[in-house]
Parts: sequence; structure tokens; C-alpha cells
Amino acid sequence: MRAEELKGHLDALLLAALEDGPRHGYAVIEALRNSTGGRLDLPTGTIYPALHRLEAAGLISGSWSVVSGRQRREYRLTAAGTRALSGKRADWRDFAAMISAALEGQPWPSPT
Amino acid sequence: MAEPNLIGDCLAELSAQLPAPIVAELADGLDQTRQRYLSQGLVPDAAARAALAEFGEPHIIVAAFTRASPARRAARRLLATGPMVGACWGTALIINRAWAWPIPIGTRIAVGGALITAIALLAIAAFSGHYRSAGRAATAGCIGIAALDATVLITITLAAPAVVWPVIVAMTASLARMTFSARTLHTVLAS
Repeated sequence: MRAEELKGHLDALLLAALEDGPRHGYAVIEALRNSTGGRLDLPTGTIYPALHRLEAAGLISGSWSVVSGRQRREYRLTAAGTRALSGKRADWRDFAAMISAALEGQPWPSPT
Repeated sequence: MAEPNLIGDCLAELSAQLPAPIVAELADGLDQTRQRYLSQGLVPDAAARAALAEFGEPHIIVAAFTRASPARRAARRLLATGPMVGACWGTALIINRAWAWPIPIGTRIAVGGALITAIALLAIAAFSGHYRSAGRAATAGCIGIAALDATVLITITLAAPAVVWPVIVAMTASLARMTFSARTLHTVLAS
């Protein structure tokens, strides 16, 4: 999946990567890689500015620690981030259901 | 000997354009990426090349950080809210017949020039592709806007014949903007 196709979804992916607990930038990238089966194709260096943007928006918080003599910045979800992730998940389910219904020629929402 | 130079050159390029804490974070990520390739059996030079290829071009990373920078965000907010604050003051000054106040023409031109300069600085910060220049322009623009707000507040307090509600609205808007500018300065200078 290329970077252009990720537009609008990267924030949700990053928030989801932090749902299980705090992670530093590289661990977030690894989590994204693992959760997508390595299909994400975007410059990993651009994950860091996205994390900074989410931090400025108050959705995640960052803190510094020293690991093996090297400074490392760790991020965790804030309460606002958790709420935002829930909202983005609901939006995505709605969107995916609508597109699936349209592609498969079914009315939406599907009658049950 | 090529391996440390490849990574070092990339970090030097990033250091020239981004603040040290950001570069430290990127250096850590780049090092961990390189370590992963080394653990997969690549020789150091190949691991460094693979890590850099995965990481992305420095100018792309700098551009992404600039787009997310607090300076750029604050400048855009000030530019977006500027017309509203200006409209409040325009209404307040017209109601108070400000053109009849005993303010020298030179002072009026100086205030107008300062306003145009502050707006231009904020526009540079809002659209600059360079992290540091966006920060400098936003800092100067915030100081300029805050100084202008303070000037107008003092002037209207001394010169206005009566404080009517449009003046109170405009003063409130300016005070809110001065508070935002002060917070922005703190954030931008700390970044």
C-alpha cells in the first residue's frame, strides 16, 4: 500500500499502534509493519512528524528516556486519543461497509 | 568506512534544518533500522544504505516536520482569525470616529506598516518549506501582532471618548489573541 492511499488513515493507524501501550517511534513503525503484513510502503522517517502532529493535537503524549546511552522518545495514547481512535474505527467500519455494499451491488445499509 | 558516513551525512543534513531533539529521535530510529538490517545478515554498508532507503529522503522528512511544526500551525491560526479581529476593530474605530482622533499621520502610517509586516511574516511562516525560517518568521510575526494589539488597546483606552460594546468586543478579541501569541511564542521557542 502506497503513501497516497494511506492519506486520511495514517493517524488512525498510528493511534491503533499505541493502543496496547507506550511505544517509541521505531516500535510504532514495527507495529505498523507487523499489523499490515509488511505491505505499508511509506518512508518510515515520515512517521515521526506524524507522531509530533498527533502529540500537538493532544491525542498522544511523548516523553524522553535514555536507553543504552541514547535518547529515545516514547509515545502513549491520551484519553482524547483513545476517544479519537474509537471514533475513527467507527467511521472506518461505516465507510468500509458502504463501499463494500456499493461494489457488491447491494443496498446500504444492508437489510437484515 | 562508508557506513558511518552515509548515516552521518543524512543526520548532518537533518541537523542543519531541524532542532536537535527531533534529530536525536530520528537518529535513534535510523540506528534501530540499521540494526535490524544488520541482524538480517547485511554487511554494515548495505545495512546503512537499506536503512536510509527505508527512512526516506531528508528533504521529505524535513518538509513533513515543517508541515507539522507549531510555528506553521500557529501562523495559520493567526492568519485565519486575523480578519475577524480586524473587523471587530474596524467596527469599533468607525463607531468612535477614530479618524478624528489627534494621532499624527506618521504614527498612523507606522502602525499600518507594522501590521502589513506582521501579516507578511505570518504568511511566510504559514507557507515556508523550511522549519527554522518558519519558526523565526512565526516568532517575529507573533511579537508584531501582540505589540500591535497592545498598542491599539492602549490607544483606544486613552483616546476613545466612550467605551461602547463594539470596543469591548474588539478589546476582548485582542486580549485573546495576545494570550494565544504568548503561548505560541513559548511553544515555538521551545521546539
